Amino acid sequence: MRELSRRISHPPLFALASVLAGCWTAPVATVQPHGEARLIQGAIAVTSVKDTAVVSSLDRSAGIVVLRSFGKPETSTYKLAPKLSGLDDIKAGDVVQATVTEDLTVYVLHDGQLPDARGTVSVDARVLMVDPSYRLLTLQYPDGQKETFKVPLGTRLEQMEGGDSVVIRPLEVLALRRRG
Amino acid sequence: MPAKHLRSSAAFPRAAASLAAVLVSLFPVSGPCQITPEQASQLRNAIGTRVEALTILGGDYGIAAANFRSTGKFSFGESADATVTVTKLGGAGDIGDPQPLGSLPIGWQPRLQGNMGWLDGTQHLHSDLVAGDITEIKTYGIEFGGGARLWVNDRLSFAPTLTGLYGHTAETYTANSAFMHANLEAARQMGLVDWNVDTWTVITGVDFQYLIALDRTIITLTSTPVYYYTASFQSSNVHLNVHGDSGTWANMIDVDIPLGVELYGHELRSGGYYRWTGLYGDLRDGLHESNLSEIHGRVVLDFLNQLWKVQWIGIGASYVWGANITGWSAGLDVVFRF
Repeated sequence: MRELSRRISHPPLFALASVLAGCWTAPVATVQPHGEARLIQGAIAVTSVKDTAVVSSLDRSAGIVVLRSFGKPETSTYKLAPKLSGLDDIKAGDVVQATVTEDLTVYVLHDGQLPDARGTVSVDARVLMVDPSYRLLTLQYPDGQKETFKVPLGTRLEQMEGGDSVVIRPLEVLALRRRG
Repeated sequence: MPAKHLRSSAAFPRAAASLAAVLVSLFPVSGPCQITPEQASQLRNAIGTRVEALTILGGDYGIAAANFRSTGKFSFGESADATVTVTKLGGAGDIGDPQPLGSLPIGWQPRLQGNMGWLDGTQHLHSDLVAGDITEIKTYGIEFGGGARLWVNDRLSFAPTLTGLYGHTAETYTANSAFMHANLEAARQMGLVDWNVDTWTVITGVDFQYLIALDRTIITLTSTPVYYYTASFQSSNVHLNVHGDSGTWANMIDVDIPLGVELYGHELRSGGYYRWTGLYGDLRDGLHESNLSEIHGRVVLDFLNQLWKVQWIGIGASYVWGANITGWSAGLDVVFRF
């Protein structure tokens, strides 16, 4: 009889334990990801909207614009998209909203190193959250800012996790709009 | 998380039919009205129960949960000869990403829900003395409330909420029969026809949710018990009052499937849900239904992180059924994520 009641009571307890397994923890980008140091995927094309970027320089003839985030010294160089219009109003020093394309490369690094002594990687951001269903990759920058990207179909999100290292390569400016 | 769909008002026709039958039985074929105070009180109680049920059905987001819905039409069989149209514009959702709750291993998000709903029911009476008469009920409701979703782990969460609902219900009786032509004024003075009533409803519930990820497919299981207390604060007849308790218990499984195909730069997603809703208290009595089932299908385009606060836009359709009613809805399916 005792055995029977044990059999009856165990499945619900097991189910309950499964449901409650683990506690909620806030996502963290500074953890060490699992597995060996490796390249997970490169050339992940994404679109990003920089709400407040400062135009450091603009060379229309060369088709180059250099932008930096407001309040930060680092700059990024982008090509001007062929169909980009409204450049006549833009000059160096302007604060703009910029829609840009970028390439992401995602690594698992150990102490910033790639395996086989292939050198160090200059990391721009770390992975904070991954949503494979809606193809969302949320990155955290060194200053704590977060940005969520919609990544293309085929991105190996199932291999990515919090703490992965990301290198961002600026590509092209699709739209520039002066603010204020 | 996702969107949901339409609801119906089943019970109205049957309730209206039974009220009509009672009405007929209370009046003599000719001569003065013979209704006793007890009979009038019984009838007004039945009206109060119906008002409570229709206010919840028409004004509450939960029983017909939808983020954006279209109009549904419901039929009740030939004998009832009644239709009810329910239109709702509302939603419920959790805002932002979960945040730590102090030092506890629990995440939390604020949750808001609101709804505007309209219900329009018409019944053509065919029984004996009142054959040819028409009774029409219109209800509108505005609901707003909120709470918090608490995450026990990455999959399991629950959201206690408190919501208020204002409702206005009005009945119009069109007398075409000789019988009601003779007795309409008496019925009106007793508050049995051509009445209107304003109500408030306090709604409290808990939404339990469990997420399952299968590859890129998301399966969401929810269970939501809800309690309603409704009371009137104004009516066209001093004897017509509404006060009562109702409850619902909705259980749903939703499947959200990315199809891996892009259209105009947005991934196609398909999915749907099955929901069973148990009805209790005055809601069950007023609608003459103990439960409703709904099956919903949708095809949508994923706009998450591509269009401000929009998760998806597409089309969807629902079929609703209970012991005494059937209904459907179809239209735009839009879900926002804040």
